[in-house]
Amino acid sequence: MDCPTCEAMVDAYLDGELTATESADFERALAGCPECRKRLDSARAIGGLLRDLPAEPAPDLLRARIERELRDIARPSGARPSDAGWAERLRWMAMAASLIVAVGIGWAGGVLTGRERGDSDPLIASYLRVAMAEHTVDVASSDRHTVKPWYAGRIDYSPPVYDLTAIGFPLIGGRLDVIAGRKVAVLVYGRNQHKLAVSLWPAGAGADTAARVTQRDGFTLGEWRHGGFEWRAVSDVSPSEMTSFAAALDRAVDD
Amino acid sequence: MARMSEAPKPDSGTVERFRVVMLPHLDAAYGFARWLTRDPVSAQDLAQEAMLRALRYFHAFRGEEAKPWLLRIVRNTWIDQRAKQGNDQPLEVVENRPAEGPDPEQSAQAGERRRQVAIALAALPAEMREILVLREIQDLPYKRIAAVLDLPIGTVMSRLSRARERMAAELRGRLGRREHGLPDL
Repeated sequence: MDCPTCEAMVDAYLDGELTATESADFERALAGCPECRKRLDSARAIGGLLRDLPAEPAPDLLRARIERELRDIARPSGARPSDAGWAERLRWMAMAASLIVAVGIGWAGGVLTGRERGDSDPLIASYLRVAMAEHTVDVASSDRHTVKPWYAGRIDYSPPVYDLTAIGFPLIGGRLDVIAGRKVAVLVYGRNQHKLAVSLWPAGAGADTAARVTQRDGFTLGEWRHGGFEWRAVSDVSPSEMTSFAAALDRAVDD
Repeated sequence: MARMSEAPKPDSGTVERFRVVMLPHLDAAYGFARWLTRDPVSAQDLAQEAMLRALRYFHAFRGEEAKPWLLRIVRNTWIDQRAKQGNDQPLEVVENRPAEGPDPEQSAQAGERRRQVAIALAALPAEMREILVLREIQDLPYKRIAAVLDLPIGTVMSRLSRARERMAAELRGRLGRREHGLPDL
């Protein structure tokens, strides 16, 4: 095999597109062709570098937008959406638009974490995934002894998990999410028909803080630091329920 | 996949089947859209439009491999969007992209290397960028790449070869020898 022939086969060889016979021929030719050897090493290194890029999963907000579209399309054509349905849809669209802008700016402007307002957008997106998708949790259990071990080996810390059924916040399960490039634990609790998604990760230095509860785009957000963890909760419960949820978690941590 | 005609509004059974067959590939669709547009916001819009278009064309889906089928629609949707909007996104968006998130497992050096690789890939011409992404990130064989890009397999091979050479040249300029592991040519 001459060099132009083996040169033409470098990529196909690397990509596993040659037959066994062709591969064997190529390997024999390669032994006597240092230029093609270099080409092969170079192409292989490029592949390694590209495969090492972090995969970016589809954002939860995108998933929620598509779910919403699919649901609307699947609606039987006889059943016209009610006025309330349309109002809700408009509100949804406005909110989605504002979130997309915010998330986009957060991305372009730098790292998302640590900003007062900037980090609530991925959290809301994360909550939407819990609230709207069929697949709400990766581990569904009200048993903390099932949920907590599930995180072992999946993230680099062990999140405290409690069942707060006795005070009206039953544990539904847990999932992983990626917030600002970091894998975090998201625990999902119930409150009547509502869900609360609380993301938590180890806190840096600093004293515990009381939960700061705010409302934004129709969601209730809680953020606080307690027991060595940063807690960020998102839900559509009332602010007072959010406050008691945070207090209940803090008490459980302290026990 | 010849020209696909549009069917009437899909019924709920079709939507359900679409959900099962295509939605698992949303990450792939978004990932491809992310590299085509080089912008996270445009990528979401593109992926959403492509998913809805895929649903409208779903009656023409004959049970072939779902991922390449969907990626082809993502690409065609992107081409249509670009024709409408004129230009690509400006590249500053990519340059400003933060390095890795605060993941303690990733050393600063590895983060910087990945950032340089991402910038180099984003800077490639579209036809080199898309073929590298389909091969190295989406992990498609030549036959599927040919279907997504609507090219003969021989063209896929030669274009991929050129794209790798160009990428190697870019990275030699951006990274130290020890980091890129590329031989001098």
